[in-house]
Amino acid sequence: MSSKGLAKAEDIYANRAGRVRELKAEGKKIMGYVCAYPPLEMVTAMDYAPIRVIGSMDQPITKADTQVASIICPMLRSMLDLGMKGKADFFEGFIGAHTCDCTEKFCHLYQYNVQFPYYHFLDVPHIAHKASFGFMKAGFQLFQKTLEAHTGRKLDPDRLKEEVKKHNAQRALVRELYALRKQDPPLLSGSENLQIMLSLLSIPIEEGSGMLKDIIAEVKARKDGPKKKAARLLLWGSPLTETSIIDMIESLNANVVMDDICTGTRHFWHDVEMTSDPLDGLAKRYLDDLKCPRTFRETTSSFEEDQEVRFGYIKDYAKEWNVNGVILQSMKYCDTHGYEVPAIKAYFDRLGIPSLYLEHEYTMVALAPLKTRVEAFIEMIS
Amino acid sequence: MYFAGIDIGSTMTKIVIMDDEINAQVIGPTGAEHRHLANKVMEEALSKAGIAFDELTYVVATGYGRINVPFADKQITEITCHAKGVSSIFPSARTVIDIGGQDAKGIKIAGGKVVNFVMNDKCAAGTGRFLEVIADALGLKLKEMGELSLHSKEKVRISSTCTIFAEQEVVSKIADGVPIEDILAGLHEAIASRVFHMAEKMKIEKDVAMTGGVAKNVGMVKALEDQLGFPVLIAREPLLTGAIGAAILGKELVIKALEKGEAIEKGARLLEAASFFK
Amino acid sequence: MAEEKKKRAITRLESSALVRPLVNKMYMEGTLAGMEERPVAWSMVNWWEGDIIMRAMGVTPVYPENYGTVCAALGIAQKYMGVSVAEGFPTHLCGYAQNTIGYTTEMKREGKVPEGAPMGGMAQPTFMLSSEGYCDARFKWFQSLRQFWNVPVWTLPFPHPAYTDTSLQDVHKVNVEYMAVELQGFIAFLENLLKKKLDRDKLETMLDNQEKVLKVWWEINELRKAKPCPMHARDFWTMMVPCYYLAYDPETLTVYQQVYNEVKARVDNGIGAIPDEKYRLIFAELPPWHSLGFFDKLAERGWNFATESIGYHPPPPMELNGGSDLLYRIARWTYWQYINTRYRAAKMGYPAVGAAQPFYNWAVEYKIDGILTHPLVTCRTATFWLTHWMNVLRDKLDIPGMSIQGDIVDLTVFDAATALNQAPAFEESMDHFRKVRKSKGLDW
Repeated sequence: MSSKGLAKAEDIYANRAGRVRELKAEGKKIMGYVCAYPPLEMVTAMDYAPIRVIGSMDQPITKADTQVASIICPMLRSMLDLGMKGKADFFEGFIGAHTCDCTEKFCHLYQYNVQFPYYHFLDVPHIAHKASFGFMKAGFQLFQKTLEAHTGRKLDPDRLKEEVKKHNAQRALVRELYALRKQDPPLLSGSENLQIMLSLLSIPIEEGSGMLKDIIAEVKARKDGPKKKAARLLLWGSPLTETSIIDMIESLNANVVMDDICTGTRHFWHDVEMTSDPLDGLAKRYLDDLKCPRTFRETTSSFEEDQEVRFGYIKDYAKEWNVNGVILQSMKYCDTHGYEVPAIKAYFDRLGIPSLYLEHEYTMVALAPLKTRVEAFIEMIS
Repeated sequence: MYFAGIDIGSTMTKIVIMDDEINAQVIGPTGAEHRHLANKVMEEALSKAGIAFDELTYVVATGYGRINVPFADKQITEITCHAKGVSSIFPSARTVIDIGGQDAKGIKIAGGKVVNFVMNDKCAAGTGRFLEVIADALGLKLKEMGELSLHSKEKVRISSTCTIFAEQEVVSKIADGVPIEDILAGLHEAIASRVFHMAEKMKIEKDVAMTGGVAKNVGMVKALEDQLGFPVLIAREPLLTGAIGAAILGKELVIKALEKGEAIEKGARLLEAASFFK
Repeated sequence: MAEEKKKRAITRLESSALVRPLVNKMYMEGTLAGMEERPVAWSMVNWWEGDIIMRAMGVTPVYPENYGTVCAALGIAQKYMGVSVAEGFPTHLCGYAQNTIGYTTEMKREGKVPEGAPMGGMAQPTFMLSSEGYCDARFKWFQSLRQFWNVPVWTLPFPHPAYTDTSLQDVHKVNVEYMAVELQGFIAFLENLLKKKLDRDKLETMLDNQEKVLKVWWEINELRKAKPCPMHARDFWTMMVPCYYLAYDPETLTVYQQVYNEVKARVDNGIGAIPDEKYRLIFAELPPWHSLGFFDKLAERGWNFATESIGYHPPPPMELNGGSDLLYRIARWTYWQYINTRYRAAKMGYPAVGAAQPFYNWAVEYKIDGILTHPLVTCRTATFWLTHWMNVLRDKLDIPGMSIQGDIVDLTVFDAATALNQAPAFEESMDHFRKVRKSKGLDW
C-alpha cells in the first residue's frame, strides 16, 4: 500500500478486504471480531491483527436469507451473508460476544456457517455491578485459555501491558483527530472521519497509528477542508459501515462534527487504565467505560438523573463540539437503540438542542425520503 | 413584484403566482417527466396571471420533485412550505396534518415556523396511495369513497395495516356481504388512526389544519376528526398550501435581502428549462 | 345450526380449566396489593431467579409480559400499541413492551387503572424487576418505563455462555456463583427498599414447592411423547403460566398433579388431544395469542402439536452440581433451565455451535412429522433461530417445516389465510418425508 494519510484511509475504506488480503500475504495472522467489546489488547498481544467484521450497506443480502428471517438486524444479516459468500476467508479465527441478543445468535450462526479454525465467544454482562467486573475478568481469563490453547503459546503479562500502552496511544491520536472538528468550519468532514475510523478497524494498530499521525499533520495544514454550513450536527446511533448517510447529510447545509456510534467514538474514546493485573483495567474499560445502550445503567432518584447518567457524556460532546442539532439514527430492527429513542430525544429537548430521529434500512439506496427530513430539520434549526 | 411557488408532489404538481395576493393557481398531474410537466404547468399559470416568466422576481420549488425544477431560484422542503402556507391561511393553526399521495406528515408550527415534524415510513398504509389501491379494488372513484363511508351504520374493523393484506381483507369482506359503506368507514378509521398516532408523537395542539389531496375526502376528514375529538381546519384548496408557502417564503427572502441591501441569491434558471416554454 | 354448537377439534384437558382460577387469583392479588398499598413489582419472567425471593419478602409481582398476552387475546393490545407509537417508540419493539408502554401512558393520563383495562389492570409498581435473560427487551423496556414511574429498576443477571465452552463445568461454576452473589445484592436492594428482612425459612418452603412443581411439570411434558399425543400445545400455553409465575404456590402443585393424572389416564387409554392424529408437529416459538382458534382449524386437518416453545419448557431433573446454599439452589435452577438442552446435546455429540439441538432431540423423542414456525415482527429473540431449526430438521432428520408470518401481539400482521392455503401442500410434504425417513431406517 503506497498511499499516505487521508488518501490511504480513502483507499482502505474503498477496499478494506484488499488490505487484509495483503496483510495475510505478508504472513500476518488475522483475527475477526464482532462489536467493540472483545479486548483487542489480548488479541494483539498474541500477534494477531484484529479486524472488525462489519456488514455492507451496498451489497444485497441473498444467501443469508436461507439462514435467518428478514426482521433480524440488517447489519448482522449482511455480515452473515458476506461470510457465507467467502468474503471472510482471511480470518484464522473469530471472536464473538454477547453484546446484544441478536449479535450473540449471529456469532453462533456465523461460526456454524463459515467454520473458522478458532472461535471464542465472550460473555458480556448487561449490568455493571461490583460482581460483574469479576465476572467479566473471569470471561477474559477463559478467553486467554482458549487463545493459548489454539496458539500453543502463553500470553505474557508484560507484553499485554505493552499492548495496553500501544492501544491507548492510538486512542489518544483518535481524540486528537476529533478535536480538529471543534472549530467552525471543521477541518475534517464527518464522511472523511468515518472513512478513517473504518480504516482503523481494518488494519493493524501500529499501521493505524502511523496513518493517524500523517492524517493529523495533513489536516492541520489543509486549505480544502469543509465549508462553513448552517448546521453543526452530532450523529448518534447504531453502527454505520458506509459513509452514505453522512454523505447525504453533508450534501445539505450541514457538517457532521461529532458522533456517538461504535464505528466512531464509542470504539476508541476511552483508555484502559494500567492496573497491576492488566485484566482488571481491561474489564473495567470494556464493561463500564465503553458506552452502548446494550448496557443497563443503574437507576437513580429520578428519570432526569437517569438520563444524565445514560446520556451525559453526549451532552459534553454536544457542548465541546458546539453542535446546534442532533441526528439520532438507527437501522430498523435494532432494539437496544430503539428503546433509547424517546428518552434521548426528551433529554436533548430539555437541553434545548433539537434532534431528529431517522430509522433506516441499512442500505445505500432509498435515502431520498430521509434526505427531505434532514433538509427540513436543517431549515428548522437554522 | 411577482413570486411563484411550485410544489411537485408524487401525484400532483401545484403552482401559485402571487404579488400581494394570489394571481394565479394551477394544479396538474405530475408525470414521470417532472421537468417537462413542471414547465407546462408553469406556462399555464403564467398565462393565467398574464405575465411573462421574466417578470417573476423569485421562484421557490418544493415537494419531492423540487430538485427537478431547473428554473427555480431555491429549493425548500415541503415541510417548511406547508407550515408557512398554512400559517398564512390559518394564523391560529398549531398543527398541520398533511396526507399526500405517497406520504403523510405532521408539522407543529409556532409563529409561522416549523418547531417539530414527523413523517411516515416508506409504507403506503396511512397515505393516499392506500385509498387509491382500495378504490381500484372496489371499482370506485376516489371521490365517491369518502361520501359513501358517511352512510355507514356499523363500521367494520379492518385489521391489516399492510396495503396488500388490507386489499385482500376488503375483497373477502365484500364477498361475505358486508355493506360497502361499512367497509369504507372502517378503512378510513384505520388510516386516520395510523396518521393520528404518528402525529401524536409531536403532541398535537389545536388548531389542526388538514392539507394534501386526502383532505378533500370527507370520509377521511370525519375519521380524523373522530380521532382528534374536535374539528379540523381545511383550506378552500388544501392541495395548494405548499405552493402558497413556497411563494411566500420566496417573497420574504427577497424583502429581507432588499431591506439589508444585499443581492438576491438566485438560481441559474437554466436555459435548457426555458426552452420548454415554446 | 344455532342449536348444535360446533365441537372444537382440540379436546382440551379438563384440568386445564383449573389453571384459570389460579391466573385470576394472581391478577386479583396484584389489584388488591395496589389498593392496599402493599409493595407491587412489575417483573419480567425471570425463570424463578427473583420471584420467590420477592414473594418471600411480601412483594406481589405482576407480569407485564403475561399482561401483553392477555391484552392481545382480548383485542385491546392494538390500542395500547398505537399509544406507544405516539410516545415515539419504534414499531418493531417487543409487542409486550409496546402494550405496556401504551397501558402505562394511559394509566398516567387517567391517574388510575385505565378504563377498559382487562383483569383489573396492573397496579402501580413499587419497583421494577428486569432480567438480562433471553432478550434485550427484558432489560431495556423497564428502563424506558422510568419516564412514567419514578421507582427503581433492578436487573437480575443471566449469563450467556458459549455453546463451545470446552470446560462447561468450570463455566457453570463461575456463572452460578455470579448469579448467587447477585441474588445477595438483590436481597440487599429489597431489604433496603422495603425496610424489612428476608425470611429465609419462608423462602426455603417456597423453593421446596417450586422444585416439586418443576418436576411434575417436566413429567407431564414427558407424557406427551405418547402416540397419539394426549396434550395439545394450547394446553401447554395455558398451563405454563403458573409454572412461571406461581411456582411457589402449593395450589399450583395440586393443580399440576391433577393435570398429570388426567394426561396419564389419556395415555393409558390411548386418547389423543385431537380425534384423529395424522401429523405430529412442533410449534416454534411464541404463539399468536390473539388468534389461538387458528389451531382448531389445523386440528380439524389432523395436526396435533406435541411440543413447542423451547424457552418455556421446564428443565429435566438437575444434573448440575453445586452447594446447598439457598441462593445457589435458586441460581442453579434458572441457569439449568437455560443451559440444559445444549449441555445434554454436547453429551450426545451434537455439533457444539448449532442452536437446534433441543429440536433435534425433540423431533426424535416425540416422533415429529413437521415443524411450524411463527416468525414475529416484534420479537427477534423468538424469531432468530427459526430458519436454522427448520434447516437442521430438514437436513439431518428429513422433517419438513412451514412458516406463518405473524406476531405475538400485533394481530394486523398475522397471515392465517396464507398458512391455511398452504396446509394441504405441507401435508403432502410431511407424507413424502415420512417415506424418506422410513427408507433411511428411522422409525417414524
